[in-house]
Amino acid sequence: MIFRLLMISALALASCSKSPEIDNATMLDGDQIFDPSLYNPAKYLVSAAIPNPTTAQKNTPVLIAVHGYTATTFEWDEFRTYTNLKTNILLSQVLLGGHGRTYEEFKNSSWQDWQVPILTEYNALLNKGYTNINFAGSSTACPLVMDLIKKGQIGANGMKRIFLVDPIVISSNKTITLVGLVGPMLGYLESTNTTAEEGHYYHFRPQETLKQLLNLTEIVRKDLQDGYNLPTGIRMKVYKSIKDPTADAVSAVLIYKGLSNSDGTKVDIEMLDSELHVVTRLAGRDNVTQHDRDIQMHVFDDMYKIITQ
Amino acid sequence: MKKKLVLSVLFITSFFCLQAQTSGTSDGWLGELKGGVRIQKTQKLYWENGFAFDFASPKILESKVHLGLSYVTTRLGSAMGSNAIKQGNFLLSPGYFFRHQKQLQPFTRLNLGYFHADYEAAIFDVLPNSAFLFSIDTGLSYQFKIPLTIHLGAGYNLNTGNGSSGPGTLYPVFYQMSIFYTILKQK
Repeated sequence: MIFRLLMISALALASCSKSPEIDNATMLDGDQIFDPSLYNPAKYLVSAAIPNPTTAQKNTPVLIAVHGYTATTFEWDEFRTYTNLKTNILLSQVLLGGHGRTYEEFKNSSWQDWQVPILTEYNALLNKGYTNINFAGSSTACPLVMDLIKKGQIGANGMKRIFLVDPIVISSNKTITLVGLVGPMLGYLESTNTTAEEGHYYHFRPQETLKQLLNLTEIVRKDLQDGYNLPTGIRMKVYKSIKDPTADAVSAVLIYKGLSNSDGTKVDIEMLDSELHVVTRLAGRDNVTQHDRDIQMHVFDDMYKIITQ
Repeated sequence: MKKKLVLSVLFITSFFCLQAQTSGTSDGWLGELKGGVRIQKTQKLYWENGFAFDFASPKILESKVHLGLSYVTTRLGSAMGSNAIKQGNFLLSPGYFFRHQKQLQPFTRLNLGYFHADYEAAIFDVLPNSAFLFSIDTGLSYQFKIPLTIHLGAGYNLNTGNGSSGPGTLYPVFYQMSIFYTILKQK
């Protein structure tokens, strides 16, 4: 009797899992809008834009900028605009694997798939002889890179500075810890994108990808709990919003406690008086304040100053 | 290794207390007092271990209602020899125990208390690091023929951190096991 009840409950719950209704004309999730870097990589990746760099170009600082979960290269477009006014910095905007495509492709991707393009661009720049490679990641890009560092895949070769903007190690939404249990019943979660964000951020978050995100942050959290050092020559700076609705600010505490510079000193952390997640991206948001703009510009200026000093 | 050692000491200490058992014959309020260790795991986060006490009186709903008191901390769990955040939970737990005269007793409890985390650096003083605890848990209690009782349960914190308020390492779901020695029992 109990077994039968359990079976009926399981079937009822399984039937709740459904495919989302995607508006192809407006949503990134559909089959009409794709990330522009897929059409024109040379506009986004230094490795594609400059097939044979000169010695001067090889010694110019390159920043690999990587977006977060459900986002696209759009997340770093404002920094592209900022660096367009500078001559002594190159910018690679990397699109994470599984992102910027259809809902189904996103749903079927793993966090290891998300990570691949970061390493591909880093290795491509290394192979072309770039000597001053830097990294800036927002949100989920941060644990992806921390994992590459831990595994020794991003090493001392050419990498100089790493900037983490609102890194996620602990999610603000604690119910994500139950995604393994309730995820199959829900199928997906729906985001609250603004109209301007709809073409750049997935509207629907498949429970499979939420599990991937949880698996990734769990691995990185445990690595930090054990503690490790950055490779020699690499310095890190973390910018963290103190009231972040997506990546809990305590993520910065875990990074501070668990990750050290190669000489054992603590990594540099700056706590920012903001209620935004990814303080460097204001485009597409509603109700942006002057305070938000000041913080964004402060982070851009600070990163630029550190890279070019 | 260190963690295992402390858990072993906590466990063994509760057995050394076997000699401490007495039979109360006082005014009838002192029904049963148990003390022991509590081992707690938060879903997708830390081990937090510590001490627990459980009190029941025949004058409070014929010992069907118990009053629990416990303290668990990562200092005796995940934070031992690691970079896990040092945090602790003080809990006062009134609970209702079904089948109270049987060896196996299902129970459900309301837990009220206080949570505090130590972020260890002034730069994080801007972040919330303490909260009142408000959780419910349910489980099974088994009383052995020797003066030992074991509680196994799962609970849900109703006021977790959410990024804007509340400590970030205050998670919703936890599992706990408590092993009690009966310190006092009225005949």
